[in-house]
Amino acid sequence: MATSAATAVQQAATKAPFKIGTKQVFLPNHVIAFIRPKPRQPPNLATFVVPLTFNKLDLRDYLYHVYGVEVTSVRSFINQPAPQRKKYTGQWFRPRAQKMMIAELVKPFVWPEPLPEEERDAFDYKMFSRMAKYRKDMEKQLYEKPDPKLRTQKPEPEPVVGLKQQVKEIIESGEWTNEKTLNVKWLDAQWKEVEKDIKF
Amino acid sequence: MASSAAIRPAMGALGRISSTTTTAATAAVTPRQTLSALLPHQQIASISTTAVLLKRHKYPGARDNRDYSKKRGESAIRRTGTRWRLSMSDEPLPRPVSKEALPPIETDPNHGLWEFFYDRKKIVQTPEQDAAHGRAWTVEELRHKSWEDLHKLWWVCVKERNRIATANWERRKQKLGFGEAEAEARDRTVRSTMRAIKHVLTERFYLWEDARKLAENDPEVDLSGNGPAFTPRQYLESEEPAEGEPQAAEGQAEKAAVEAAVDPAMITTSASQSQQAETRL
Repeated sequence: MATSAATAVQQAATKAPFKIGTKQVFLPNHVIAFIRPKPRQPPNLATFVVPLTFNKLDLRDYLYHVYGVEVTSVRSFINQPAPQRKKYTGQWFRPRAQKMMIAELVKPFVWPEPLPEEERDAFDYKMFSRMAKYRKDMEKQLYEKPDPKLRTQKPEPEPVVGLKQQVKEIIESGEWTNEKTLNVKWLDAQWKEVEKDIKF
Repeated sequence: MASSAAIRPAMGALGRISSTTTTAATAAVTPRQTLSALLPHQQIASISTTAVLLKRHKYPGARDNRDYSKKRGESAIRRTGTRWRLSMSDEPLPRPVSKEALPPIETDPNHGLWEFFYDRKKIVQTPEQDAAHGRAWTVEELRHKSWEDLHKLWWVCVKERNRIATANWERRKQKLGFGEAEAEARDRTVRSTMRAIKHVLTERFYLWEDARKLAENDPEVDLSGNGPAFTPRQYLESEEPAEGEPQAAEGQAEKAAVEAAVDPAMITTSASQSQQAETRL
């Protein structure tokens, strides 16, 4: 079995379009993420997030041996995050950097379109976006400077707007009706003032 | 205009040969010619009458007679052109085509990068699909597997983790919705399988080491690799075993030694191995 594995390695080495190294890696622990390209990125460029220990040759060999993808060249860069403060102590620290590599593919690869919002029900997108909005509002309330406005600059509350409208109508028409039918006992015909009850 | 630009150096060269003669090739009338037509009394010669840089000094040590002005005779007014030929071609230049006019690029259905996705359309699995997985492989199950099997399983796990990482990135960047916790649980399950594989392989290595140590002191086992690796005593009690007997290869000898020294049933597991995981990936 070992000899068959050795011959397989030998065959792969002869077939590979580049010179293969001698170091054999049996149980690698790397995790590589394939990233959606930027909107105007040509389809022969594929972006990956790789471990910081990776180099260009590693990615080339990895893609060829694991996924059978041929690559003509690899570009790499590191995204350095901004310093942050720790939650409770307030100590400054810099989060771990992230390495990205862009491989030039022999065969182009076009990514499928992103999932439209209507088809995200399985991910509970409505609740997700509501929560995101709430969180954003809370953050704004917490961390942004309050901007108290003068009463004249504020939009008028709804009841005030309604009342003003009614007043305007009354002034224009010059009359006012209650538009409510009163109970019979309150009508003038029913009402008799009892003078004897009034004592001065 | 392009044709006139193309013959410009030729015109310059002609001008240098004879500044006043008109040729059929130069259809354009130069200002100098019009000037000469207007002024008929001016002397016109077909050869230059100015004092040429004559090579008068021929004695040894005389100053050299080179023309140090590289642009002598060039004139924008007279449109002489340059003294040397310009490299030009009248091949039609390609015209840019807009991206929309080009045919759409088709991806190979057997492209290796498809293996980074769960679904070729969606890329990301829904939380329900992510959560629908079993438990991890246990150490006890993996003890019965060969190295080839374990190695294959390891690579299956590696690819699965890459898929999960790709889906996580896509879900976060496109703001698809929830599902991070389910993906994390799935990843944890895969990792526990990988840990079990390493556990089994480490166990095997320790056993091999111990077996080797035992074999060094065992009279029945010969680790030199020259003779038979294992010579059971009970069958050859009466007579001395013959030495230097031709036997199997060295690798087989070692294997036999390990098998002889180690009883697989005696292997004990460490109780610390957590077996709460759920998948068989």
